[in-house]
Amino acid sequence: MRLAYSAEELTFSYGAVEALHINRLDIRAGERIALVGPNGSGKTTLLHLLAFIAAPDKGTISFFGEIATPDNLLAFRRRAALLLQQSYLFRTSVLTNVEMGLRVRGVSRRKSRRMAQEALDRVGLLALERRSARSLSGGEAQRLALARALVLNPEVLLLDEPSTHMDKAGVQRTEEILLDLNRQTGTTVILTTHNLERVHSVAQRVVNLFRGRVVPAFTDNLFKGEVTGGGSSFETGRALFRLPVAARGGAYVTIDPTLIQVSRVLPEDAPPNTFEGRVVTIAQENGGIRLEVAAGERFHVLMSPGDWDLLKAALGEKVWLTFGENAVILLN
Amino acid sequence: MSFIVEAFSRACNLVVDFDPEVYLVVWTSLKVSFAAVVAASAVGVPLGLLIALREFRGRETLLVVLNTMMALPTVVVGLLFYAVLSRRGPLGELDMLFTPVGIALGLSVLALPIVVNLTISAIEGLDRRLFLTCRLLGATAVQQAWMILKEARFAVMASVVMAFGRVVSEVGIAMMLGGNIRGFTRTMTTAIALETSKGELELGLALGLLLLFVAFAVNAALYMLQRRSG
Repeated sequence: MRLAYSAEELTFSYGAVEALHINRLDIRAGERIALVGPNGSGKTTLLHLLAFIAAPDKGTISFFGEIATPDNLLAFRRRAALLLQQSYLFRTSVLTNVEMGLRVRGVSRRKSRRMAQEALDRVGLLALERRSARSLSGGEAQRLALARALVLNPEVLLLDEPSTHMDKAGVQRTEEILLDLNRQTGTTVILTTHNLERVHSVAQRVVNLFRGRVVPAFTDNLFKGEVTGGGSSFETGRALFRLPVAARGGAYVTIDPTLIQVSRVLPEDAPPNTFEGRVVTIAQENGGIRLEVAAGERFHVLMSPGDWDLLKAALGEKVWLTFGENAVILLN
Repeated sequence: MSFIVEAFSRACNLVVDFDPEVYLVVWTSLKVSFAAVVAASAVGVPLGLLIALREFRGRETLLVVLNTMMALPTVVVGLLFYAVLSRRGPLGELDMLFTPVGIALGLSVLALPIVVNLTISAIEGLDRRLFLTCRLLGATAVQQAWMILKEARFAVMASVVMAFGRVVSEVGIAMMLGGNIRGFTRTMTTAIALETSKGELELGLALGLLLLFVAFAVNAALYMLQRRSG
């Protein structure tokens, strides 16, 4: 198994605040990974380290078997492209923006122009090649930045919230491009997202981050509290969760929003974690439905359109939330 | 009052008739100012870029010194360069005193802190994502500096134009290092001072009108550059 990245004992701090602490993270070459976590969980910091534009305080990152050192940072940086959440566009034309990375690599003007046009065609912006980059809309600007990254034929493509500013069609197109790229060239794709509904449409594996650490759970339903009942439950002050195994410590619990069942009547043989609440938000989210239910705590539930058709709850309607003990994951 | 109107009328005639003496003075002024600004830019823009992009010990002190130099009294610069370029000075053998080159040298020192300071401001005013993007695209340090400079080009050009505006209207250095030699080192400002002291208002007024025109052109250029860099 060839590894694109192997990170060990990685730490990174902003001043005195530790933003990232990863004991070990292996990413296979050709893998598609989503880094998921709430704001401040260290997703962007990790991407910057993997793009070699920041150096860890401690620990090592191996890139395709070679340990990153100050001497090979530029060479590694040229093999991994990072798309920022809000990309900077140069004060020039759309086409010249895409050519920039090629020009710094010494590619001839003629060849870089042809390659840039191909990349623009791929993201559907070829018709705008002569336009000023600064005149593009938010979604177009992100597609231009994607073309600027794609044209470099990187071995690893890192994307920080790539669907920001994009409409539904733009998101789908971007996902198709990423999947095609991965299948055709074996490019490793690593993206950060908070859009859990779309995670699996691109990613084969999800790495959850919470407070700078890799954790084994989603963090949409993240509640602070303390372990009670001798390790059998977790008390937040507004809700009491039954835990799967006797636990000693832990200041947070998280519940995977795709594992919460919603029904309009109290199910028979309801599991220990059953909560009565009212629907406060119903939103479409990239082909699925996201519900927010006030049931002591505010729970987020992600459901498929099929499940939603069976439920069809109205705003303010009383519903029951149920989930097994194994859906509750304790975090330190 | 009537003598002012008469002098103004004769001054306008000198301007519209393209009086050779008037325009030779204008040409000398533009020539030495342009040379000074080119020299100051050649040193000041890379220096400003370097100071803006690098963190080093004493940077804050250097910025204060550079800011202080913006208010450099022109007669002090003239005095120092007079000492350096005079026969007994370290560069006396170069015979640059009372030559256009001597004036340009002194003016370039006046222009340098303006170019450096405003280049630093231009670079520091850029979107921080630009610096990250240059690195992400795999640019070397030199390539990054060039890309950053290109992004700040309008603001940097504005700094050069502002420096030109400062030196073209300067009188102390041009007088002390040029000596106001007719047909050789006489600039618009020194000629205005001399003609006024002689009571010859029309030549002074003609040059004053042209100096105002140059100042207007410089400010119009500056306005356009600032709009584009904004």
